[in-house]
Amino acid sequence: MRHHRLLDFLATFTVISVGLVTLIGLLSERGSAPASIADFMVQLVTVIAAVAVLIGILNLISVHLGRFVRAEHGWPYSLVVLVVAVAVIALRILDRADIWSGELEGEQVSLRVFEAVQVSLESALAAIILFSLVYAAYRLLRHGATVWNVLFGTAAVIVLLGWIPLENLDVLGDVRDWLVRVPVSAGTRGILIGVGLGTVTVGIRVLIGQDRSYRS
Amino acid sequence: MTPADLDLIAGWASLVLTLLVFSYLLGDNYLYRIAIHILVGAAAGYALIVAVESVLVPWMNTTILAEQGDRDTALMTALRVLGAVPLLFGALLLLKASPRLGPVGNLGLAFLVGVGTAVAITGAATGTIIPLAREAGEAVGDDAVDGIVILVGVITTLIFFQYIAIERQGTIRRPRAFRALSAIGQGFVMIALGALYAGAILTSLAIFSDVVREQLQFVLDKMGG
Repeated sequence: MRHHRLLDFLATFTVISVGLVTLIGLLSERGSAPASIADFMVQLVTVIAAVAVLIGILNLISVHLGRFVRAEHGWPYSLVVLVVAVAVIALRILDRADIWSGELEGEQVSLRVFEAVQVSLESALAAIILFSLVYAAYRLLRHGATVWNVLFGTAAVIVLLGWIPLENLDVLGDVRDWLVRVPVSAGTRGILIGVGLGTVTVGIRVLIGQDRSYRS
Repeated sequence: MTPADLDLIAGWASLVLTLLVFSYLLGDNYLYRIAIHILVGAAAGYALIVAVESVLVPWMNTTILAEQGDRDTALMTALRVLGAVPLLFGALLLLKASPRLGPVGNLGLAFLVGVGTAVAITGAATGTIIPLAREAGEAVGDDAVDGIVILVGVITTLIFFQYIAIERQGTIRRPRAFRALSAIGQGFVMIALGALYAGAILTSLAIFSDVVREQLQFVLDKMGG
């Protein structure tokens, strides 16, 4: 228990000292000693984050391997994850080893697989979001009319209709332009400034040791 | 095998994977789940490759495995020790899995949190709060009426998101003036969210039509010989 308290103190001390040194460096003039120290800190964190990603992926692979070996519920999906992950890594290793000969010499096969698999799947997923969004809008309309629903729906409809190139209805486009330029920009700026203020508040709480949730 | 054969295989793979994802429109099914697990496997593989090739290998080559050259031994030792520090902190994260040694793993996390917090504070202040507040103020100079609407919108939106209240006769309520301003702010937020929602629909519609066009084009090309 005493060891834990010492380690907790060390963790809090690390957060505060490292955070303050980096903050001072980031706010200092470029090229100065504090700024160089901050750059170095960020570089260290990049490497730690890369190790964390590595640990996360190895954990994912071990979890799916365990599910497959124990033939748990959904093991075929775990097998798919393992086969694809290993195939991608193996293809990259073969690319690096420059193993391809003939017409494929110098070809980056792993990049082609990336385009065929990753890009296709992500595009298709982004495309079917359309149906979820339209269905959610339909459910909102069925939910009953309140002042806020009406404002939300009217703004959405004006923006959607404003994009249709209707003859003699340029006024819709003008209304849409004004809506986006004035009230939408005001609301968005207010939300973003609020998010920024929230980030600064939480950050200061962490740096003065008030928020220590990272220890749990 | 030729690059053209690779393109053909990639085209068919892309078509099959797109159809697997679109099968979700008929309801959650095993074809969709296979597609999602393929995505997870591929993303994990690529994330590992990027972490190793773009971050870890260059870092190790310039520190731990650096060539001595003209540098003296003390400098090289310092460089190697320094190179090992983030790897050690990263390795400490492995201990988070153990209930007994978990607090040791917090040290690695503490380093990440400390630097991350400093970067977040600087980014939020210099990249969001100051420029957006300045833009809102400058809008009044460009067009008085629109500028005032923008300024009122920004201020009332911020009031809508604050929860300062006072206790009066046993009930906790926000001051009346704040409630009125907050209602105006809520209106601006609703209009902004409605417009952003419409923007999301338009974007996904554009992606949907592009995906369908691309796959149909591939099928028609193959059918045409």
